Amino acid sequence: MKVVSLRSDVQAEPAALPGVAPAMAMIHIDHVSQRFQTSGRQSHLALSDINLTIEDGAFVSILGPSGCGKSTLLYIVGGFVQPSDGAAKVKGKVITGPGPDRGPVFQEFALFPWKNVLGNVMYGLRQQGVKKTDAEAKSRKLLEMVGLKGYENFYPKELSGGMKQRVAIARTLAYNPAVLLMDEPFGALDAHTRTRLQNDLLTIWERDRKTVLFVTHSVEEAVFLSDKVVVMTRSPGSIKVVVDIDLPRPRKRAELLLDPRYQKYVVDIEKLIDDTGEDEIHA
Amino acid sequence: MITPGAALSKSAPLLACIGLLCAWQVASLALQTESFPTALEAIRAVPSILGDKESLVNIGASIRRMAIGLSLAVLFAIPLGLLMGRIKGVASFFNPLLMIIYPVPKAALMPIIMLWMGVGDMSKTLVIFLGVSLPIIYHSFQGGKAVEEKMLWSGAAMGLSAPQRMLRIVLPAALPEILTGCRTGLVLALITMVTSEMIARQSGAGNILFNALDMAQYDTVFAMIIIIGAMGILFDAAFEKLRGWLVRWSKPQHDMPLSFS
Amino acid sequence: MNPALNKVLLGITPIALFLALWQSLITFGYAPVTMLPPPGAVFLRLGQQLFTSDFLHEIAATLLRLFAGFGIAVVLGVIIGLAAAVSPAINAVVKPLVRVMAPIPKVALYPALLLILGFDHASKITLVAADALFPILLSTYYGASMVEQKLIWSAMAAGTPRAQILFKVVLPAAMPSILTGCRIGLVISCIVVFLAEMITSTDGLGHMLVQAARTFQTVDMFVPLITISMLGLILNSLLHGLRTYLLRGFPEV
Repeated sequence: MKVVSLRSDVQAEPAALPGVAPAMAMIHIDHVSQRFQTSGRQSHLALSDINLTIEDGAFVSILGPSGCGKSTLLYIVGGFVQPSDGAAKVKGKVITGPGPDRGPVFQEFALFPWKNVLGNVMYGLRQQGVKKTDAEAKSRKLLEMVGLKGYENFYPKELSGGMKQRVAIARTLAYNPAVLLMDEPFGALDAHTRTRLQNDLLTIWERDRKTVLFVTHSVEEAVFLSDKVVVMTRSPGSIKVVVDIDLPRPRKRAELLLDPRYQKYVVDIEKLIDDTGEDEIHA
Repeated sequence: MITPGAALSKSAPLLACIGLLCAWQVASLALQTESFPTALEAIRAVPSILGDKESLVNIGASIRRMAIGLSLAVLFAIPLGLLMGRIKGVASFFNPLLMIIYPVPKAALMPIIMLWMGVGDMSKTLVIFLGVSLPIIYHSFQGGKAVEEKMLWSGAAMGLSAPQRMLRIVLPAALPEILTGCRTGLVLALITMVTSEMIARQSGAGNILFNALDMAQYDTVFAMIIIIGAMGILFDAAFEKLRGWLVRWSKPQHDMPLSFS
Repeated sequence: MNPALNKVLLGITPIALFLALWQSLITFGYAPVTMLPPPGAVFLRLGQQLFTSDFLHEIAATLLRLFAGFGIAVVLGVIIGLAAAVSPAINAVVKPLVRVMAPIPKVALYPALLLILGFDHASKITLVAADALFPILLSTYYGASMVEQKLIWSAMAAGTPRAQILFKVVLPAAMPSILTGCRIGLVISCIVVFLAEMITSTDGLGHMLVQAARTFQTVDMFVPLITISMLGLILNSLLHGLRTYLLRGFPEV
């Protein structure tokens, strides 16, 4: 319980944005710590005193070396994992479990293999009580938007990784969550597919500007997509710094890669990670 | 168009049957003993068994007991196995008990159960139920345990409650594994049925077999073996068809389950 | 609270409940002692019998058939399984044969085995071998066909002659799967040998049960049943121990 106060010296940087009115905050992470029981009586501190506020409509990436607890933080916001300490709030309400206001997209896709593509996208809508014909119409439109028109009757096993992730994104967008929680969504894809999905995600996002919490270990990906990049240190995971990415939107990949401001962000953040990643060798 | 290769692999099981019967024929001709009829003689005796009303009633009763025992086992074992797979406490509660029950020869309980319940259908059905339950529980347990956590999370985010997730995510996701257990269970039900009838010697297919043996009607003995063997092969093939259709969405698995496992 | 201890307590509960239910059926008069002997009497009789030479003789007869049948099944299963995994030609023959023969209830062949091989050991040993063969054969086959091609390439690159690949690479790599099949086959052997002895025999544990059933000695019916189950448990855990020892270098299996 006392861990919180011990770490307060590191707290100056993350800037919990006390000035921002709570009403504007979509997600508010308040002194969250996470302890995992390892073998026997030992326990491991995965997250230490995290404070973070995410405004409505912001695209925020969490960046850090593997094992820094960045996915755990996302799971806490999703309500899949309960924090050992502190609380996460969505629209001012403490998160106690998963709900349709926060839609997850996982690296593992987690599609329902017994449903075809259309069935997967319709699943959440049907669960919300949407009429079958309406759900189907909306799902077909979404599938067209993610570029999967014509694949409605395919089963997940017949799709490539990139296509699976497109279905997973459509499935989550279908029930219109206020927040998208993306857990290294492109981490299992090859470089080419990954780039295309980043571009498409950006296009979709710039259209309706949902709040996105995006976990990744790729600096370029984080800078390319985000308004804010949260850099974490490892073991115990804590926020090292929050970098505002001040790049114009809508962003075009070809232009951005040549933009010196983009390049500087990437180099600066990589340096920050190098500082925190030195103990990776000891892991 | 069917390519010759595909046609060959389709008919391979049939060819295997014919090959086995040929081997039998040759072996029996070579041994030349009265108690080992040739395959042809045995096959010729099959219609007389299937034409006999009493035998048919007997075999029908066997199959009915098998169906009831298997159905009850499926209804009981799948929910229990899935609960064990998803809830650690349930698994810790039942696992040691099941481990102890595992090596007990279930058909050997027949004399004891007969002592309590008589020789009627009840005892035989109960023995089949006991014999079949374990593999189905085991496979449902494994299937339930292996369901991807993230899939359940996705369901929870859509607003599915815990019982709904059990029914609408865990059950379908574990279905391929459950059906593997059911396939083992089906073969095991037939085995338990025949064995219990051989031990109880009251009625049924196993009884016909041993009555014929006692009366030295060797053709009938071997014909009955063909019938029971064919039942095993046909039930298994039919169930495999059904399973393949039910889980056509899943990645293909081993084409033979490890029976009893 | 120690979670490991909790788990053990939780696991013992249903076993204790089962024994308590058994005892209370008798204590409260729902079941007459002639139909259902109290658990204490059964285990007492088991303890007394365990050291009589007659009982040990029966166990020896059962074990002889059990190990002979199981041994044949292991040898045949591993050889055929490996051959089918390595050679496409053998595979083409073995696969349909296995597909057809595996779902046949082997116990139905028992009368035929009695007629051909006689009522002595041979027929029972063959039945045990026939029943234990398929799980061992199949798991060997799957284990051997799952061996990574790159493992074989690495061994060949390191200079292993082609002829030795089977024994130096494929067999050890398939070992976890083979031993799993053996464990399944062993328990099946225990069950089958007992049933065969029940159906027709003049000695062995199964014969003891039938003998006791004919004279309505309920206590003596339970003793051989519990003995064979315990033998199954013991042999199973011995093989498990052997497996853990042999596979100490493998990642969690």
